[in-house]
Amino acid sequence: MTSLELFHTLQSSSISSYIGHQDHLVGAVAQLFHITGLILVLTSILVVSLRLLGLGLVRQTVPQLVKATARFVWVGLALLTLSGIVIFLPAAEHYDPNPIFWFKFKLLAVALVLHVTLYRKVTQTEAAAPVLAKSTAVVALAAWFGIAFAGRFIGFY
Amino acid sequence: MSFVEIAQVLYDSQAGTALRESVYAFPIVEGVHLIGLAFSVGLILLIDLRLIGVFLRNVPVADLLQPLRPWLLGGFALTILTGISLFVAEAAKVIIIPVFPLKIVAIALAGINALWFEVKWARRSAEWDAKPVLPGAVKFAGIASLALWGVVVISGRLIPYLGAGL
Repeated sequence: MTSLELFHTLQSSSISSYIGHQDHLVGAVAQLFHITGLILVLTSILVVSLRLLGLGLVRQTVPQLVKATARFVWVGLALLTLSGIVIFLPAAEHYDPNPIFWFKFKLLAVALVLHVTLYRKVTQTEAAAPVLAKSTAVVALAAWFGIAFAGRFIGFY
Repeated sequence: MSFVEIAQVLYDSQAGTALRESVYAFPIVEGVHLIGLAFSVGLILLIDLRLIGVFLRNVPVADLLQPLRPWLLGGFALTILTGISLFVAEAAKVIIIPVFPLKIVAIALAGINALWFEVKWARRSAEWDAKPVLPGAVKFAGIASLALWGVVVISGRLIPYLGAGL
């Protein structure tokens, strides 16, 4: 099955049809939940990454900041996923030929894998090796902010 | 000159027209405006959550505000600069959409709230910020900030939905 065939099936589903028939302000609400989730995730990554770079909340330890922001990251990702589905489904086929759409999701896959591997490992200790800590911070910032930027660009294609 | 007339002048300007008709510049400016939210609204969200006692509640407020303030201010500078650019490009169209002045008024009120908090409370934070329960006025400032920036983000997103021709 090609992606287009899959997206066609998804777009033709009854839930997709239901969403698509709603008032267009429902789309705006979905985008607002998407923005909320986005801010929760980006700001959490920002605060921890700045700390890994020796900037920002330097009086707190890295594990402390990760612990305090962990729930924002998971709530944020949940909001992003649910709202993302609402945004995607009614126009699924429309996204298939869009290279920015695919770039965003490939980058998201990379970011998620890094988040549960490298990022988790580096932020577990109070004093990770400086080069590893800083590289992880830079990669995390580039990945997540890159996803956000690409996401905005999808609509401009 | 009325607001509408000023908006028309900005809209027709070379800078405004160039940005509005650009292929890449407008999306990039809009993208940076959005990313800027993480540095401005996002960081203020964390401070406000601290003020209402929900985030890092064992850390004195000054220990959060003092190191984050430069990042916050830089974030707002970026968000506001890109915001002004976007406004100039679309001025004549957005000035007549009611959620737009709502957004500007909410930004102004949020700014006044922040300034009041800085002048009246943040300066003498040592007197109150290590207590387990923060003063009512401080919590109010946090809630007001959350509500006002919420209105800003919501009204901002609604601009293209509640007006014709965008």
